[in-house]
Amino acid sequence: MAGGKRDKKEKEQRKSKKAKYEAEVDEEEEEEDEIADKEAVPASASRECVEAAPKDEFGAFDYRQTLELKSDHKSRPLWIAPNGHVFLESFSPVYRHAHDFLIAISEPVCRPTHVHEYKLTAYSLYAAVSVGLQTNDIIEYMRRLCKTTLPSGIVEFIKLCTLSYGKVKLVLKHNQYFVESQYPDVLQKLLKDPVIQLTRKKELETGEVAEEFITGQVTGKSALQLNKQPLRPGDQAGPSTAANGNNEETKEDVPEDIFELYDKLDKEDDDEDEGQLKTVSFEVNPEEIETLQKRCIELEHPLLAEYDFRNDTLNPDVNIDLKPSTVLRPYQEKSLRKMFGNGRARSGVIVLPCGAGKTLVGVTAACTVRKRCICLATSGVAVEQWRSQFKMWSTVDDSLICRFTSDAKDKPMGCAICISTYSMLAHSTKRSYEAENVMKWLKTQEWGLMVLDEVQTIPAKMFRRVLTTVNAHCKLGLTATLVREDDKIADLNFLIGPKLYEANWMELQNLGYIARVQCAEVWCPMSPEFYREYLIMKSQRKLLLSTMNPNKFRACQFLIHYHEKRNDKIIVFSDNVFALKHYAVKLNKPYLYGPTSQGERLQILQNFQHNPKVNTIFVSKVADTSFDLPEANVLIQISAHGGSRRQEAQRLGRILRAKKGSAAEEYNAYFYSLVSQDTNEMAFSLKRQRFLVNQGYSYKVITKLEGMTQEDLFYRTKEEQVQLLQKVLAASDEDAEEERALGEFPSKSSFNRKVGSMQSLSGADDAIYMEYSGKGRTKKSDHIHPLFRKFKKV
Amino acid sequence: MSFGMKTLLCKDLHSYLRSLPPTVLDRLYCHPATCLAVFRDIPELARHYVMRLLFVDQAVAQAVVQQWSTAPAEEQFEAAAALVELRVWYEKPLPGGMPGWLLNHIFRTNLMTALLGGGTPWIGNKDLTPDKYTKDIPFLDKYALERWECVLHFMVGSNEGTDGVNKDITDVLLYSGLMRVDDGEPSITAEGFQFLLLDTSAQVWFFLLQYLDTVQTRGMDLVECLTFLFQLSFSTLGKDYCTEGMSENQLRFLQHLREFGLVYQRKRKSHRYYPTRLAVNIVSGLSKTKIDTHRPGFIVVETNYRVYAYTDSPLQVALLALFCEMLYRFPNMVAANLSRGSVREALARGITADQIIHFLHSHAHPEMLKRNPVIPSTVKDQIKLWELERHRFKFNDGVMYNQFLSQADFELLRNYAKDTGVLVWEMPEKRVLIVTKSGHDDVKRFWKRLKASSS
Repeated sequence: MAGGKRDKKEKEQRKSKKAKYEAEVDEEEEEEDEIADKEAVPASASRECVEAAPKDEFGAFDYRQTLELKSDHKSRPLWIAPNGHVFLESFSPVYRHAHDFLIAISEPVCRPTHVHEYKLTAYSLYAAVSVGLQTNDIIEYMRRLCKTTLPSGIVEFIKLCTLSYGKVKLVLKHNQYFVESQYPDVLQKLLKDPVIQLTRKKELETGEVAEEFITGQVTGKSALQLNKQPLRPGDQAGPSTAANGNNEETKEDVPEDIFELYDKLDKEDDDEDEGQLKTVSFEVNPEEIETLQKRCIELEHPLLAEYDFRNDTLNPDVNIDLKPSTVLRPYQEKSLRKMFGNGRARSGVIVLPCGAGKTLVGVTAACTVRKRCICLATSGVAVEQWRSQFKMWSTVDDSLICRFTSDAKDKPMGCAICISTYSMLAHSTKRSYEAENVMKWLKTQEWGLMVLDEVQTIPAKMFRRVLTTVNAHCKLGLTATLVREDDKIADLNFLIGPKLYEANWMELQNLGYIARVQCAEVWCPMSPEFYREYLIMKSQRKLLLSTMNPNKFRACQFLIHYHEKRNDKIIVFSDNVFALKHYAVKLNKPYLYGPTSQGERLQILQNFQHNPKVNTIFVSKVADTSFDLPEANVLIQISAHGGSRRQEAQRLGRILRAKKGSAAEEYNAYFYSLVSQDTNEMAFSLKRQRFLVNQGYSYKVITKLEGMTQEDLFYRTKEEQVQLLQKVLAASDEDAEEERALGEFPSKSSFNRKVGSMQSLSGADDAIYMEYSGKGRTKKSDHIHPLFRKFKKV
Repeated sequence: MSFGMKTLLCKDLHSYLRSLPPTVLDRLYCHPATCLAVFRDIPELARHYVMRLLFVDQAVAQAVVQQWSTAPAEEQFEAAAALVELRVWYEKPLPGGMPGWLLNHIFRTNLMTALLGGGTPWIGNKDLTPDKYTKDIPFLDKYALERWECVLHFMVGSNEGTDGVNKDITDVLLYSGLMRVDDGEPSITAEGFQFLLLDTSAQVWFFLLQYLDTVQTRGMDLVECLTFLFQLSFSTLGKDYCTEGMSENQLRFLQHLREFGLVYQRKRKSHRYYPTRLAVNIVSGLSKTKIDTHRPGFIVVETNYRVYAYTDSPLQVALLALFCEMLYRFPNMVAANLSRGSVREALARGITADQIIHFLHSHAHPEMLKRNPVIPSTVKDQIKLWELERHRFKFNDGVMYNQFLSQADFELLRNYAKDTGVLVWEMPEKRVLIVTKSGHDDVKRFWKRLKASSS
């Protein structure tokens, strides 16, 4: 191992240097790609539903003239604005139905207690059709659920986005590629195109093209088989089952038509014995796949990739099953049902809150497909966790699992489940001989399933590299937060597949699947000395000064004392390494950050989990994702990465795993975000919280911690504070920066990790709140999504 | 009122009556309705005193009265004081020279009438033939609110149905300072915004008080108006009354009340009128009873600062727009956002955080009422924090001393100020110091003495 012998420190430096270089290269490449992609993007994909609406005297969009209220509007749950925003009453008797429907066809914007907001987008509708919803059904059901008449623009929009999408599938079965559709006329249309004609596979002997389509059948039976078949009424309800009980009595005041249609959709969705759907297909030349896909996109009939793993005889079956004791929660099952709905495996993304058991979903998917499976995680620790989860939930033999990381390279040949990190696979420079060999082997394999963990963290660039090096028939993305500050999230729709399922955080919390978290924002006044320096310093120093604010330190110390007395397990997050070290050393607690070695990390984490004397650890952003610490129930954040909503949600996720035996309390987990008053942190924290607030979490602002003056805390006197200030001022510029490297996966992300402009830090170009300013719309329409790239390589 | 009003001072019945001259009070007590209303409004202990003295026509020793209850002395004192303020009783020495209490004779007789019956009917003392156009309670409620909202609309400056607002109303609004004339057009003031966010009952009461202040300038008699108002407050909702027997002044007053929506009269000349809920509740208006109870709340406030209002009333929307950023208007619903900017704008207009919260709370949607607290505490806290943000500067009055000729002079004076504890701020480099206003004279004297001795 060439790399292993190198000095650790040197390696780190090299890594970060390389990261910097690569980031630059990435940007350039990105631009070229954008230009090249222009023709490969279907026009309607970047379309937004925009309709000019008159504004009233208060500057609100005025739909009173365009929409007509139905007489029985009270019993219908939806308002649909002509610009694609949908509002749903959560207290409506038909809430459950409407919710299930909306989650399938639109993106949730915010889901607090009473009224939820969704947004119809081209992507969400694409996702809807790809899980089998029909255009007319969508429109009809919306019409019935809506309190008002349906805006004509919306109908147009839905038609536009759905009529051509999702009709044609590219299916691989018996190791031959088929273009398959339930609609013969669509296939006819495609075949009229000369380019597509050429791709059609010719008979070997005669060289003639068969005129007839191959007809076939698709079973409607779900491929998902679980240990315990849940009872009928609950099975498709998922987390919304709670609404089930009062269904009977409320039925009377609900218009008949809503139920009629719901039952119909319901049946289509679930009736497993019925759907023997007639399909027609033609076979295509495997060499011509890429041309075919490109042409189909131009014709606005993008091909959906499906994997008929049952009929795949070429790839050997792998002998894994779920353990008999493994039982899925209703929402996990529901999400998988979406994936395996028609007896085949669809590619797509499943969104579940952190701690809600994403790993089990991945494991179950692997056990269902029963083909070779590759799992990609973000860090070495996460790889270990995936491995142990596989062993915990399934019957997989130890020898079948292979880890491929810089530290652990199990023998890969003959393995069935390979777990690795994104950086390992996307590594573009020279590897060690051994790693090179493994990579070669990985490339030659045909993988049945690829599970992509924490899919939101990965820049599109890296993805494409991963997806092109490894061939997988079906891709499953797992994530908790489908938000990114740089708006690249939409790419995932076309790189992996549509979003298949997204759970409601508040519902899972109320049902006890995830912890009930009290979020608090603690305001720490800047001490005058620090604030004076703060005002004259550059932006990086400003961040350091606000993090090192002695009042913040005292608040942190106080909270740690308070919770340690309660026997809580506490994680303290700091993005700034200087602050991290200082806090941890001063308080005499263990800390881990980027350069901490794998072994030390595991040791610290194990101590934290099992040693009653280690109740508090300090971690940097390396622990943001995939650090499974089930014991932790208190999280204190002393510095963060600008206004990143994703980071906030990910961090919250560290304490979300359901806690046992504390049902009596209103909250069983605590999330504190310490911010220095009058600094940038205030504005950032507001932005960071936006995602969670939209999920229904509420932040309590604490301006004064009760009892803090009685405690004996550090930095009580002015002298001590001034000493601290001197220390901070003496710190080098690098100290002032946030940690650059993301563990062993150096920062290759497309956004800048350094302190940059306010806009990029705060995620100001994010769609969710740009829409109010009006500027976002114009920008959005210019933006071209590099869609369908994944279809270049299947 | 439940919240401390800074600029908009709204008196309750007690403090209003207290402000009236004694002669007016005595004349008011000539009518049983007033006496009963006052009796109901006074503290419980005071009511007890009145009841025990009702049939006693001599002064009773104060010492005796004190022994009637075991309530704390403070409470007893308050009750006695309230009765004195309202001239219900007054001090009268007993023959032996001991201080005693004697009930106001006029009050006593009329309260007896009110409690025991007898006398003339208070209101509409003629039986009416059944009304051809009988009006039921829902109709009256709707009518009253429509009329009242006209006034509010007029204040907000929206054009909906404000044609019914005549000069009388405008005058009252201008007089009360809720509106002022800008460029010939009346426009709303900071007090006006606060007024808009009050409960309807509080609004009506405040408005009427202002109106009563202007009554005399219109050549009407305050006592007659007040008496009629008290009579009205004891009338029955949904019953019609006859205008016969009313004085000219009272008829004019009735027309005004009709404009405000306190009574319904089909035609100006009609001999019958219906009091509406606004009038019936007027006297109790400021205590617990709510006028809007028949109208369900409509505002949903979410933890993410979204506000959804189930209303099509342009007035309610206009009110929300005072402190919300409006996003969408559907035929029966408005979506809005509580943002720092929008709330600060409202605060700048003189609206307080408490008023915003009170408004959201008092109009909360039934779904919201199921939860506790009704308004998410984070939202409440945040609105208050936004308000606090505006008060972070602390202002200290002071006097600046500068242009010292030498550092020694400066230090001498500074040390003196420091020792006497009046120093606010100092800047040795520029030889500037500021002392409190109260300490200024002392420091000045010290300085003069110093100069005198040195020269």
